Amino acid sequence: MVAAPDADHSLLNPTGHVRRRLALDRAVRWLLLLAFAAVLFPLLDMVYWISARAVPAFTWGTFTENQVGLGGGLHAMIIGTLFLIGIATAFAVGIGVVSGMYTAEYAPPAVAHSARVIGNVLAGVPAIVIGYFGYYALVLYTHWGYNSLAGGIALGVFMVPFVFRTTDIGFAAVPRAQREATLALGARRSQYLARVAFPIALPTMLSGVFLAMAIGLGETAPLIYTAGWSSSTVTGLLQPTSYLTGAIWNFYDFPSTEGSFLTLAFQAAFLLIVISLTVNIAIQVIADRYRRRLRGLFQ
Amino acid sequence: MTDTVPVGPPIIEVRNLKVGASERTILDDVTLDVFDRQVTAVIGPSGSGKTTFIRTLNRMVETTPGLRVEGSIRYQGQDIHDPRVNPVLLRQRIGMVFQRPAVFPMSIYNNVVFGLRLNGTDPSEFDRIVGHSLERAGLLKELQGNLDRPAFELSGGQQQRLCIARALAVKPRVLLMDEPTGSLDPISTQRVEETVEELRREIAIVIVTHSIAQAARVSDRTAYFYQGRLVEVAPTEVLFERPTQKLTEEYITGRFG
Repeated sequence: MVAAPDADHSLLNPTGHVRRRLALDRAVRWLLLLAFAAVLFPLLDMVYWISARAVPAFTWGTFTENQVGLGGGLHAMIIGTLFLIGIATAFAVGIGVVSGMYTAEYAPPAVAHSARVIGNVLAGVPAIVIGYFGYYALVLYTHWGYNSLAGGIALGVFMVPFVFRTTDIGFAAVPRAQREATLALGARRSQYLARVAFPIALPTMLSGVFLAMAIGLGETAPLIYTAGWSSSTVTGLLQPTSYLTGAIWNFYDFPSTEGSFLTLAFQAAFLLIVISLTVNIAIQVIADRYRRRLRGLFQ
Repeated sequence: MTDTVPVGPPIIEVRNLKVGASERTILDDVTLDVFDRQVTAVIGPSGSGKTTFIRTLNRMVETTPGLRVEGSIRYQGQDIHDPRVNPVLLRQRIGMVFQRPAVFPMSIYNNVVFGLRLNGTDPSEFDRIVGHSLERAGLLKELQGNLDRPAFELSGGQQQRLCIARALAVKPRVLLMDEPTGSLDPISTQRVEETVEELRREIAIVIVTHSIAQAARVSDRTAYFYQGRLVEVAPTEVLFERPTQKLTEEYITGRFG
């Protein structure tokens, strides 16, 4: 015969404080699920709303033709966006990686602290201000007029803080023991940075670069006053160019919101989502591959 | 230690060494010789300055900001603080192994040749040196054929011996070991001690240890540090059997620390 448990030793029926705690636990779990749905649903709805209008209208010409009148394709804008993001990424990586490494490894503490504050301030500067500054410095002052280089650099300035911050974090997170072990083997600091710290910081840096690209892809404000607009495909750094976010900005609000002109705006939005998704997947795949090599390092 | 201790000129001579941080003194007036082809153990309670002491020998202290070093240290008669001395070169002569193994995120093979790449050794020598270094660290048999695996897949004890192999690959004349078995299990500890035993007639070893028993097992000479001062240094049997200082006696008989 099995003895009945003591009255207050039941394993099945929690009472009092424990019961309330479990109830709270359940409530919080549902709340989190609800919050998650509240974020996810509008996103999916938006993707559907755009796709439903964009996808059926895609033809080969959407990619190969330029916009003419109220119709045509997005060729110039696709090339323009890739061109601008290329220039911007080169600029942001060049400045962001070097300054991030300097801040994490070489800068005296006071300088490093100021650099981080300035980085945060730059991240908070409204994109339109950067765009206007680019207009003044790279369009008017240089007498170049609207051009892709100015657009790419303005966009790059907007992206720098993301690359800077993740580089700084990536290098600062390298375990001290790795540094000591490297130096104790007779390495110079530059050798430590290149051979040990860089590979360890790389996944973090890459995620920063891709994040910056994904955000940069969706920016319009730094480009409006700098890259100008052109319905023909860009052919050089100092030529103006059109770009996908500009297509949405220009075409969606156009007085005649009928037919293919509006469709072009939806298609531009759809392409931006696809490019941004691709960049995000690339982040995961590449960063994971490097991270796997580092398994065991951060414990 | 039954065999006789060969006594030649000291390979490292430390004279009146002082290390200070902003407010406090970490090491005060330490004078000590380290002899070639001997194991010198450094013992003492936590905070006695043992680790700081061996970090002065290859100028690793300089990588910690805010420490002042005074006094003289000579390696084979040369002042290591001479402005013309490059710490990079010094650290190739005086290798170091730390308490926690710090293997690099690369293959076992690339870990061992890391220092060789830094000093420009001819790559055709790599295979031979890797084999020899792993052998001396007691790892070759366990790892043969697996040298391309990531070093992180090794156990903690194997990682530490890999760090020893990596340090030995650049042929240092002195190996500094900062509590090399402090994070290892007893079997791994024994392996590391076997490696020390094998090396002890080839190079000079300075080993910091929290374990008095380990100092007794592996070392020829033992130095006892207390509160930043060198209390006593003597051949290991002498220090353990007939310490001249009251403080030493109290420590080794386990009355504190």
